[in-house]
Amino acid sequence: MALSARSLSALDTATVVARWFLGALFIYMGLMKARDPVEFLKLVRQYEMVHQPFLLNSIAAALPWFEVFCGVLLLAGIAVRGAALMLIAMLIPFTLLVLKRALAIASAQSLAFCAVKFNCGCGTGEVLICRKLVENAGLTLLATWLLAGRGRQWSARYSLLRDRRTAEVSPPPEVPVPASKP
Amino acid sequence: MKRVLLESVLVAALGVLIAFGANALSPHGLKLGRDYFPGDNRPPIALTNPATNTAAAAPQAHSAADHLREKGLNPVDSEKAEQLFRDPGFEQNQIIFIDARNDEHYQEGHIPGAFQLDRFHPENYLGEVLPACMGARQVVVYCNGGECEDSEFAALLLRDSAHIPADKLLVYAGGIADWKTRGLPVETGARRSGQLSAPKK
Repeated sequence: MALSARSLSALDTATVVARWFLGALFIYMGLMKARDPVEFLKLVRQYEMVHQPFLLNSIAAALPWFEVFCGVLLLAGIAVRGAALMLIAMLIPFTLLVLKRALAIASAQSLAFCAVKFNCGCGTGEVLICRKLVENAGLTLLATWLLAGRGRQWSARYSLLRDRRTAEVSPPPEVPVPASKP
Repeated sequence: MKRVLLESVLVAALGVLIAFGANALSPHGLKLGRDYFPGDNRPPIALTNPATNTAAAAPQAHSAADHLREKGLNPVDSEKAEQLFRDPGFEQNQIIFIDARNDEHYQEGHIPGAFQLDRFHPENYLGEVLPACMGARQVVVYCNGGECEDSEFAALLLRDSAHIPADKLLVYAGGIADWKTRGLPVETGARRSGQLSAPKK
């Protein structure tokens, strides 16, 4: 039983570290884009998501700072599940866009898919597409893990909307019981 | 789950507000209402793989010239650009070069004597560039070359917004990359800094 509790604790600690990692990574990637929004605007345009200048500018202007914001929330442990859901909502469509673009490049250049290397606008410069897809899949899994309710320790305010009913019935913190002597 | 969804909506709303606020406060922020790509009808660019593809350079240069002509702009090749640079009119500011790249790239190296016009922040440069364009008989606009479109859009800005006559505007599609490849002199730092270097061919 003691072993099980220790394992659980190790898992929770690992999840908190993963939360910090995810938060720090999004802050870094967001700042990389935010420091040169013009370059990011050019990269976003290449995806041909929108053609209306206001929408295109809005995506390029807001997305980097939004990533930084979500990263800060994860790092501080504020609204963790809401922030994790937002990351998933960004990661999945952008991964699909990157995949679509990589397929177009591979087709236009008659290249093997994994040989495609380009700046996807992800904040890390030119990347090999297969590596990028694996990275994004990993990040999506991490965010999903946080969304499932893990990584609550060391959170400033894990949930913005506290569940009163849960708070009332939640058990008191565990107190270690000394082993009784025979 | 409902609470998580509601929380994510709150995060999204607050995040969007903060993001637009940060963009507005940032000195590098984008102007949301500005059309940075006027008359944008170019087919998808950069379907290239810079890490591997070099063979397609010649056809690309050809299509870039055609594309400029379609926009009513006059492309010039590297020989013509060098000829204009060596023309006596260049020293008298009758022929001027305009570098359409940002500060960082401009400072790293530009065609000697070229004015800077970062088209994403034109308000910072037009005060100096416009009188020079008015007094010149030919204005050569360039950027990095290759897939760079900044020279094209800077030329359109000068033609359509600043009313510089189209016949005096030339676009050097090869850009600074081509200029350096030809071993022509490059000036670093500010305009007329006197810091010249001649890249190896």
